Amino acid sequence: MRNRSWKMFCLTFAVLGCFAASGNASEPIKIGVVTPLTGTYTGIGQQVKWGLELAAKEINASGGILGRKVELLYEDEEANPLVATQKAEKLFQVSKVDFLTGTVNSASTLAVGQLAERNNKLIATTVSFSDAITGEKCSPNVFRVNAKAGMQSAALAEWLVKEKPGAQVFYLGPDYEMGRSTVAAFKSAAEKKGAKSSGEVFAPLGNKDYSPFFGQIRAAHASVLYTSVAGNDTVRLFTQMAEYGLMKNLTVVGASGTVTSQNIGAIGKVADGYVTGVGYSQEIESSENRKFVAAFRGMHKADPDLYGADSYGLVYFYKAAVEKAKSTDTEKVRKAMRGIKWMTPQGMKEMRAGDHQAIQDMYAVKVVDGKFKIIGKVRGDVAIGPDTCTRF
Amino acid sequence: MGGAVDYIQFVFMPQVFNGLTIGVAVILMALGLTIIFGLLDVINMAHGEFYALGAYLGVTLASHGAGYWLSLIAVPLVLLPLGYGVDRLLIQRVFHQKDRHMLTLLLTFGLAIVMEDVFKLAYGPNTIRPETPVSGGTELFGNFFPSYRLFLMAFGTITIASVWLAVHRTRFGSMVRAAAFDKNMASSLGVPVRKIYSATFAFGVALAGLSGVLLSPIYSVFPTMGKDFILMAFAVVIVGGLGNIKGVVFAGLLLTQVQAISSLYISPVWADPLVFAIMVVVLMVRPQGILGGKLGHV
Repeated sequence: MRNRSWKMFCLTFAVLGCFAASGNASEPIKIGVVTPLTGTYTGIGQQVKWGLELAAKEINASGGILGRKVELLYEDEEANPLVATQKAEKLFQVSKVDFLTGTVNSASTLAVGQLAERNNKLIATTVSFSDAITGEKCSPNVFRVNAKAGMQSAALAEWLVKEKPGAQVFYLGPDYEMGRSTVAAFKSAAEKKGAKSSGEVFAPLGNKDYSPFFGQIRAAHASVLYTSVAGNDTVRLFTQMAEYGLMKNLTVVGASGTVTSQNIGAIGKVADGYVTGVGYSQEIESSENRKFVAAFRGMHKADPDLYGADSYGLVYFYKAAVEKAKSTDTEKVRKAMRGIKWMTPQGMKEMRAGDHQAIQDMYAVKVVDGKFKIIGKVRGDVAIGPDTCTRF
Repeated sequence: MGGAVDYIQFVFMPQVFNGLTIGVAVILMALGLTIIFGLLDVINMAHGEFYALGAYLGVTLASHGAGYWLSLIAVPLVLLPLGYGVDRLLIQRVFHQKDRHMLTLLLTFGLAIVMEDVFKLAYGPNTIRPETPVSGGTELFGNFFPSYRLFLMAFGTITIASVWLAVHRTRFGSMVRAAAFDKNMASSLGVPVRKIYSATFAFGVALAGLSGVLLSPIYSVFPTMGKDFILMAFAVVIVGGLGNIKGVVFAGLLLTQVQAISSLYISPVWADPLVFAIMVVVLMVRPQGILGGKLGHV
């Protein structure tokens, strides 16, 4: 009797072991995606989804990661941190995802980052700009593969002082966290390089009429206007500036979210000449980018933007780290991610170990006939700035 | 001294001008609102969406090749029967019930939500910007005044004056005022009160639509645009006296000048709270509004 039960035990164990082993080899690697599928940021979420899907398709077609297929599990973030944490919790606890990405709203990324710490999982954002994510509020469980606001400012400031030495810059931002921090970041970057500031004004978010501020801009004798308004506010600001003939003697520069594919159609010709700093452009001349753009268009019948490109690059980042770690274990993957170099449409990126911020080349781009043209480039190690993360 | 003159010339004066153009826009919005309230006692929560509807109809007409000037006439004409129908089919159904204030408020609020979503479905969520029909501007005292804003002020002033004349100097206007004053007496004297109600609602809606076409080249067109001026318009109606046309003009100019000039000295974000604080004070001290008296009663 004793002997028999021992045999049964061994058999059961063997069968279970067999299942466990086979499960490890063929069960897919699950990547949770919490991204806005409805609401104001639907357009961004769409690009995130398209970028991830293209990379997953390519990787699965060529054998997956460590022989395992990649599976993407979507949840709607609604660009709302409260919703994002609930959906992320569900993906961690119920769906048991190995890795999580997709958050767009910077506050969502920060909140989901804290949740990842509690669940001992890793996340990465491919969209959020806020410097705090890899700065004062950095987390050992959060990585960023896209360029942060500070890097965009650095690229733009570099271009500005080269093209317009001694420029008098006037600042106009929306009066909330994003507006004030982008203006402050660009102002310090531009002043460090010798640009002069001639005044600033913060208009309410969703402001109807900007003409009350035009007197101040004229009186300040500014030659350059920096703005970080976004969406519909940009349409009104640019239209009304053109109405008042302000566009003629002014170079308008701004944040990368100010003029986008969503509002450039409505702004029309007035957008021509606008300059901003970004981490990606379809125009980047490299075989990787050409291949990426062609594959993206082929699969989705649409053009990729920076969000699509960075989300595409993210899956390859995770693949490189898991293959280096030979495991999906959080501790091992984190160690592998630190300092890793991987190929993206923008060329080689490097994940800085000290703050989990990707180092990449930055571009100054200008709107010409409704399209962004590259007019300047700043090396990644120059644009990134010092590591201010002190938590790990 | 030169600095002070510069300041008045280049900052203060244009600010007053900008305040005036915004004032005309707000008055146009508030006029329809106050007429509908003055006669029907209905607070039209969908007024902003009729403003948006006017703007979208203008966009549709333009995409079919119609010029801006045509849509300036055509859009109000299209909205007249539509407004008449909305009053007949929706508002009159609940109008004669006891708690009609609450019912009509909820009804028009629901209508506003439906309309906003219909705009989103029909035209998409992205902003559309109609071309400015007259470009360029005039240089006066070293300042630049865009032609379209000058046109807006002139056209707006004529419209406002015509509305006043229509209400106070025409046969239709006197029937409206009679119905507002005492609907039973007016009815017994042969005034078709129900038709007058619907016609007045249609008139208010057409005014909102006209404002939509008029303002869209400056403020652009998007699904939630109805919410833009509506709060300010409500404040103007309350401060000026509900149902009072002169009051609307007075309060419209006052509040927009307060907003424009105060934003020179305090953060622009605080200009709105200032305007609404004035509204609260008026409600407390003089609830009938600065110029008081309802339509038909003065």
